Amino acid sequence: MNVVVVLGHPSADSYCAAIFERIILALESQPSHSVTAIRLADEKFVTAISTAERVAYETATPLISDETKRHAEVLLQADALIFVYPTWWSGLPAQLKGWLERVFVLGVAFRFNDNGKIRPNLQNVRHIIGVSTYGSPWRYVKLINDNGRRTLTRAIRMSTGLRTRTMWRGIYALDTCTQQQREKFIADTAEKIVKRLEKSSR
Amino acid sequence: MTKTLVIYVHPVEGSFNSCVRDAVVKYLSKHDHEVRLRDLYAENFDPFLSANERALHHTPPTTRPELARDVEHLRWCEAIVFIYPTWWSGLPAMLKGWIDRTWMNEVAWVLPAGANTIRPRLTNIKRLVAVTTHGSSKFVNALQGEPGKRIISRSIRVMCNKLCRARWIALYGIDNSTLADREKHLATIGQRVARALR
Repeated sequence: MNVVVVLGHPSADSYCAAIFERIILALESQPSHSVTAIRLADEKFVTAISTAERVAYETATPLISDETKRHAEVLLQADALIFVYPTWWSGLPAQLKGWLERVFVLGVAFRFNDNGKIRPNLQNVRHIIGVSTYGSPWRYVKLINDNGRRTLTRAIRMSTGLRTRTMWRGIYALDTCTQQQREKFIADTAEKIVKRLEKSSR
Repeated sequence: MTKTLVIYVHPVEGSFNSCVRDAVVKYLSKHDHEVRLRDLYAENFDPFLSANERALHHTPPTTRPELARDVEHLRWCEAIVFIYPTWWSGLPAMLKGWIDRTWMNEVAWVLPAGANTIRPRLTNIKRLVAVTTHGSSKFVNALQGEPGKRIISRSIRVMCNKLCRARWIALYGIDNSTLADREKHLATIGQRVARALR
């Protein structure tokens, strides 16, 4: 199974990055998976869609930079997408949101059918998995709405196949979590993701 | 007279959103509002919150002098009008990055020692208005749960005044709209925003 794992936190020494690296390790130890790790900050991925890209977005050839072309190719081969990011202002960090805007374009995330209607184009993606850290407690997140989660498991989900499954892992009230809770979350998350992907690759 | 900060985000000049910006700014300036316009793309604002800046998360705003103007604007205004296109159900990365970077410690919020929820600091802001366009229909956006709307009307609103009202003015299904639909939207948009600011 081709698994694409994306990190949306800017610091390599953050807790988010630690979760990310553990997931990569756990998946790479499985011979049935081929893992692509995308560290947006390390790659210096440009956050905001540019004027030229926005103009190209409306055309049949929206991918005009090497970095977006490379990521689009990876996406079109992916069986599973895993997002690891910190929730800021109840949503995705800008760089991760920018990744969706710049790479999930015509011919990648969607296409037009003969009647000019939008149709999903990422039917190869069978799993969308999100792992996020929250500064706020669970109740507060639910009250405000988990907008990053909605973007990935609903908006992006509409571009994948009908049978795509989603899975969510969140660690809440991170600032007051103990070291043990953090360790346990990392271990459990890696294990659950491996299990989920193992079941469906059989 | 309301001190109104207009945050406009669209990369293409001449876009429908840029027409909305012109209509709104013109109407508000004519009707006794003090308007400050920020055009994040034209200013080349960098929406990326870097690792170095993230490390300053709990420090006072003086550690980020490059954002001093944003801080001053946030503390000055009584209302914010956001004008932007909704992409992938939410705010454009440029706008999300502006919020990520400028709604900072001691400006938008404080975190008391030992607490895990932040406390509001932008009590000067009593109105938030979002003026946006959606390519998809209202039905599709409802299915997706309107993440962009909720970032503004809930997540950032709780950092403003207790009585702060958030108003949502959206043109859904712009991809399938007619010229007449869009002209109608432009003709009344200034007035609708002004009413929302009352």
